[in-house]
Amino acid sequence: MPISLTAPPSPRRAHARCGRAAGGFVAEKPCPGFCMNVPGLFHFAFLLRGLQTPSWARWALRKQQLSLPSLPLLQAARKKNSLNLLELSEAELEEQFVRGDGPGGQATNKTNNCVVLKHIPSGIVVKCHQTRSVEKNRKIAREILQEKVDLFYKGEDSDVFKEKKTSEKQKLEKKRRAKENLERKKLFKEMQQLDKE
Amino acid sequence: MRCLTHPLLRKLLSLPPQCVPGRGTPSKGAVLCPKPLFLKQSCSAGPGLVTATDMVNYWQKVFETNGIPEAQESSQYIVSFVLGAKTFQSLDSKSLHTPLTALQQEQIQQLSHKRLQRMPVQYVLGEWDFQELTLKMRPPVFIPRPETEDLVSLVVEEEFQKCENSALCFPAPVPHPVILEIGCGSGAIALSLLCKLPQSRVIAMDKEEAAVNLTRENAYRLQLQERIHIIHQDVSHSNSFHSYSPLCLFPFLSLMGGGRHERQFLGEDLDTELIGKMLSLRAVCDSFSFLGSAKQLLLWGPIDVIVSNPPYVFHEDMASLDAEILCYEDLDALDGGDDGMRVIKTILALAPSLLKVSGSVFLEVDPRHPNMVEHWLQAHPELLLTLRAIHKDFCGKPRFLHIQKQSS
Repeated sequence: MPISLTAPPSPRRAHARCGRAAGGFVAEKPCPGFCMNVPGLFHFAFLLRGLQTPSWARWALRKQQLSLPSLPLLQAARKKNSLNLLELSEAELEEQFVRGDGPGGQATNKTNNCVVLKHIPSGIVVKCHQTRSVEKNRKIAREILQEKVDLFYKGEDSDVFKEKKTSEKQKLEKKRRAKENLERKKLFKEMQQLDKE
Repeated sequence: MRCLTHPLLRKLLSLPPQCVPGRGTPSKGAVLCPKPLFLKQSCSAGPGLVTATDMVNYWQKVFETNGIPEAQESSQYIVSFVLGAKTFQSLDSKSLHTPLTALQQEQIQQLSHKRLQRMPVQYVLGEWDFQELTLKMRPPVFIPRPETEDLVSLVVEEEFQKCENSALCFPAPVPHPVILEIGCGSGAIALSLLCKLPQSRVIAMDKEEAAVNLTRENAYRLQLQERIHIIHQDVSHSNSFHSYSPLCLFPFLSLMGGGRHERQFLGEDLDTELIGKMLSLRAVCDSFSFLGSAKQLLLWGPIDVIVSNPPYVFHEDMASLDAEILCYEDLDALDGGDDGMRVIKTILALAPSLLKVSGSVFLEVDPRHPNMVEHWLQAHPELLLTLRAIHKDFCGKPRFLHIQKQSS
């Protein structure tokens, strides 16, 4: 498995900040997602973990790869439903959670799991509160953001755009056919009436 | 199990009077706005017709008037739940504008009245989501916190990493660890791990019977009962074999007979019968139950991973917790003693006798604990445990510890 030796261990995820509900985005310096206390042998193991993608994304990739010949993780293209989308780097993302400044963990029982995710270079913001799980909302937010960013940069070349166009076309086709059928039936009934008379 | 029910104690901590667990009817303390008046003002679909949005707005105002935290979120979750959805944002435009039936309005009202008593939303709905799972929730069993989802991901990642590291051929082997969860609560961590690691097995223990029952119920609902073994046991009473006093085993030995052997065992010339009488019956029972419990924990052999979200709140911080927590959740699932480390230390002391070499302990802790744990492990080198990593939660706070057992 290729080892990234160039950069120090990157954050497991974009540096997240407990944002105030009314607050705007505050640019944060990226900081290490984890600290190491045992040098030497385990340092090596940690470089292997120094990947840009967050833990759940790596897990999702692994899930796909269990049934494939093992591909180097860093080279695996991130595909979503056969769409070829621009990859999002965690370093370009800024995440906020409406959690307040409380102690967090066991000492808090806040139910707001809304995730607000911003793509810094393009300024696109996605707000996701689709599920009751923070992790799932983070995943979905990234998927939606990835589509939006792809559309933003690629415009009509984007697979997102093309897929939308295809589905719109299909809908129009369906409507047209349904209309035709109705008219045919109408005509047939009229002709039946004429025959009777 | 501790719940803050004593009225004087609650008053001392300035908790709202309406916060009484177990009461189904609304208390006199809650101020309810006259419903028809409010609704007439807020009907968007037409006179007499109430939509989901109307209901959310109405109950949000009621909650705000009564000082209920997360007024908007609470009303959104309740209304969505009655409409069969998880969140308000996930409802489609049609659901948002369709008038609600009388039954739906009634259901929303019943649930909202519980929320007015500061009951946590998760208990109001009787369910909550954790990662990919929907789990039943029931007071006073501890409600899984969102941070803990990351704890599960850490364990899963580590297991896959171990497989990849050891793979000499392809495809990489699939992880099949034996995992022990200490303090399983509703079963969130245990059941998530079973789902994400389809070849794993979990031994889950909790000192509260309510938690054991709820974990079992959730396991059956998810059809995971074959791979999980749930034990009703207090980790503080699961001392490792090596640290157990030989004197406590004495009554057990004397029951087996053979006085001379006991004397040799103790290294002194002692009257076994006398000692047997001196030791209380409790010690005998303890020794029996200990032997039983150790056997249960090692049911599937030495353990690959011990995972826990142990009570880690500093005792002095308990009083400042929200009413939702203090009135409804089991405080023993939160209170970690003076330094919040009581159960953490118990788990770490027990770990070496249960773990395989290179086995791991994953813990969720208070942000002040990482340094404290590191020092404590350094002060107890005989445990052969090293703090391998500290991971942050999604709010950037040091929250998770990865400790590993070294070879001697």
